[in-house]
Amino acid sequence: MISPAPDAEVFAALADPTRWQVLSLVAQGGGATATTLAGELPVSRVAVVKHLGVLDRAGLVESRRAGREVRFAARPARLEETARWMSGVAAEWDDRLARLKRLAESAGPETATEQEAR
Amino acid sequence: MQDTIEREVEIAAPVDRVWALVTEAEHLGTWFADAGAEIDLKPGGELSLTWAENGTSRGRVERVEPPTTFAFRWASVGEFSEENSTLVEFTLSEHDRGTRVHVLESGFASLPKSAEDQVAHHAGNTEGWKIELGHLAEYAERSAA
Repeated sequence: MISPAPDAEVFAALADPTRWQVLSLVAQGGGATATTLAGELPVSRVAVVKHLGVLDRAGLVESRRAGREVRFAARPARLEETARWMSGVAAEWDDRLARLKRLAESAGPETATEQEAR
Repeated sequence: MQDTIEREVEIAAPVDRVWALVTEAEHLGTWFADAGAEIDLKPGGELSLTWAENGTSRGRVERVEPPTTFAFRWASVGEFSEENSTLVEFTLSEHDRGTRVHVLESGFASLPKSAEDQVAHHAGNTEGWKIELGHLAEYAERSAA
């Protein structure tokens, strides 16, 4: 019922729309580099490097050196873990709201007492 | 990905009745928690929700505007603080002679960084111990390899 949140860094990393785009492009594969990503986005290479740094610290991408270049690949595990946790929280709300609905719509003695009290 | 969760339910009961169920301790303690609740129903008032198996979560009432708006911050795990809490906002509206309840929970991104830290603070949280023991087992296996 009560579970701890995953690393908040994942949320923070994904809160920025440009960073989302960077991650989406990296996830398409092909060993993206900061240079190729900057070519596909309306931001500078320096900005792309910063975004990649945030994504790396959040465990969402991994880098590997290939000659003079650093190539990036997505690490889906962290994203899946966070998505799973979020759907768990959403499911808890569905359960709670279903209980609230049942309680509100029930015509048990509790309801009668409450209506009398009004 | 946003750090918010939105949910909605339609209830065939008047708004006033649903408002009472959403804001009164004796009801909150049955449909939200399962072993009781306490609430000082005013902005800044304290809130506690108790589960038979998971202990007590604490929070603070933020907004009370009967019969439409009720908001509180709560720490589902660990000690309550501004940082270690999310905001829950209930909005009630009349719908088809019944009530529509909209819930928005936000602020997951600002929760403290390490889940393990939170768990460590939550005394009596057996799940936390399982996680700790899991790490220990992993560590032991790595060391043995």
